[in-house]
Amino acid sequence: MGETLNALLAGFGVALAPINLLWGFVGVTLGTAIGVLPGVGPALTVAMLLPLTTKIEPTGALIMFAGIYYGAMYGGSTTTILLNTPGESASIATALEGNKMAKRGRAGPALATSAIGSFVAGTIATILLTLLAPIVVEFALKFGPTEYFALMVFAFVTVAAVLGSSMVRGLTMLFLGLLLGLVGIDDQTGQMRFAFGVPELMDGIDVVVLAVGLFAVGEALYVAAYQSRQHEEVEQMSGSLMMSREDWRRSWPAWLRATAIGFPFGTIPAGGAEIPTFLSYALEKKLSRTPEEFGKGAIEGVAGPEAANNASSTGVLVPLLTLGIPTSATAAILLAAFQNYGLQPGPLLFQTQTTLVWGLIASMYIGNILLLILNLPLIGLWVKVLKIPRPLLYGGILVFATLGAYSLHQSVVDLLTLYVFGLLGFMMRRWGFPVAPAVIGLILGPLAESQFRKALAISQGDPSVFLTHPISATLLALTAALVLVPWIYRVARERRSRQAS
Amino acid sequence: MPPATRGGRVELIISLGVLALGIFAAVAAFRLPEAGGYARIGPNFTPKVFSAGLILLGVWLLAEVFTGGWREPVPDDPAERGEHAFHVGAFAWVSGGLLAQMALVHRAGFVLAAMVLYGCVARGFGSTRPARDLGIGLLLGLAVFLFFVRFLNVNLPAGWLKPVLGTAGL
Repeated sequence: MGETLNALLAGFGVALAPINLLWGFVGVTLGTAIGVLPGVGPALTVAMLLPLTTKIEPTGALIMFAGIYYGAMYGGSTTTILLNTPGESASIATALEGNKMAKRGRAGPALATSAIGSFVAGTIATILLTLLAPIVVEFALKFGPTEYFALMVFAFVTVAAVLGSSMVRGLTMLFLGLLLGLVGIDDQTGQMRFAFGVPELMDGIDVVVLAVGLFAVGEALYVAAYQSRQHEEVEQMSGSLMMSREDWRRSWPAWLRATAIGFPFGTIPAGGAEIPTFLSYALEKKLSRTPEEFGKGAIEGVAGPEAANNASSTGVLVPLLTLGIPTSATAAILLAAFQNYGLQPGPLLFQTQTTLVWGLIASMYIGNILLLILNLPLIGLWVKVLKIPRPLLYGGILVFATLGAYSLHQSVVDLLTLYVFGLLGFMMRRWGFPVAPAVIGLILGPLAESQFRKALAISQGDPSVFLTHPISATLLALTAALVLVPWIYRVARERRSRQAS
Repeated sequence: MPPATRGGRVELIISLGVLALGIFAAVAAFRLPEAGGYARIGPNFTPKVFSAGLILLGVWLLAEVFTGGWREPVPDDPAERGEHAFHVGAFAWVSGGLLAQMALVHRAGFVLAAMVLYGCVARGFGSTRPARDLGIGLLLGLAVFLFFVRFLNVNLPAGWLKPVLGTAGL
């Protein structure tokens, strides 16, 4: 405990250094901006910046990337409340009430409760991260390759199969990502795999090209083709930002309950913020003294989900930092950012890079305060950002997207690959294939393979180790249950309904 | 029962595509050497497993196509998704901008390629003011060029603008 406090205090020393404070500020400002802008998310932004920031020293860069990550959660709510199209799936629950409040001229209190709620949840979640991380690290130090492999399989399957509408399409994207991750030199034997003699493939497929292609180019092609000739309405930012005494009374219990739901969901590989926001929404509706207000602009319905998605986004950093397991697309890109600097998140990082890790965690306390300031008094600025015409916005997105890919090797081949992944991303969006499993597969796949081979090397090729080690066996059994139970349930239900008809 | 609708035919094509990709990867995987070492599995083991997985998923998708279509599909009718019909021009302008940038970036330089890309994308998204778009694109390209080249030491080609931009770029 005292040790943690000392480490955290040293971390504040790092995070408060002027240069790191500056990177943190750049990160949360950029994060808010991209959260506000539809069509740009944190995964894409960090991916675009990866090749551009290789000259920045790692602590500053990672503080900035983390700021982009949790800052985007703040910005997202502004778009959701003022525009009826939720910027991301984690904002759908907020959209239910937030936009109704804006339509009734209560945009101010809706924005206020989401900003303050995000701050409360973000700060409590950062405290929980501070307390929990050393405990998980202690536990994870006992993990060997066998346990890590099982943990990664568990993460793959929850992200691909349990989330999203269709298990088979999620798994298809996971395996596509896993195969793409194999392209290039096998680092254990030096064997070239799936390169087909193309020199550009020998280094492997860069996560920047894949993520930016799928997210930015694919998204731009899709929105141009199917949404660019539509009109969208931005609600006026009318009324004061002040929350009434009644608003406060109804908001704060919702913030706390939502934090309690959101944080644990973030820490397990349940893939981000979508589920906890809906749970929080449902809970608030159930506990409300005036449930009839839900659907017409109930403030609890904004306060809860917004706090939940912030708490869970911070929770995601627990498995990422302590175990090296990313549970969302953005976390996977953050993992790639660490790897860019030759760092591997996991329990050893807490021992070898103490100042970096604790500087990063400390920067989140500061970042949340900065975000509260950015998102309340300066809200008018973001409303203007939201009004940037779509043609100009997407022009900018693609200039930055191609800049990121091109600056990897100053190569036109990377731009071509980017476009090909863009076409793939377009098709995926159009026919309902999720992007996150492909990105996670690409990044985590090679790590999982290496743990698998290490585990087998230790056991002299005996594959039963995965079932005789208790932690690994439990995780693999859980994974199998996650895939099989819903499938059996569905088959049984289909059979029953066929018999009935 | 083979699919009768347009959406069903696309599902069939994509499912076959996944299957074909899996078979392609499997063929490549079986050509890799064994070289196991202590682990008794070599660099060819994971490729085999992953390509087998993709083949299995291709078969699964096909099975769904022939038993009433993919489960939980995205509606084929754009109106049902709250969108308009596929706009060929928009798609072509965005694609054209990206291809033009690839053709230009080495010769004309990053700034001018970015300007053309920006103009094409804006046009694709329905802008009717090409002069304004190209102007903004030029300014954005210049700002990005100067910032990343000067401050972050990223190498970008100056191209035709080399006399103006000086030795800042490649």
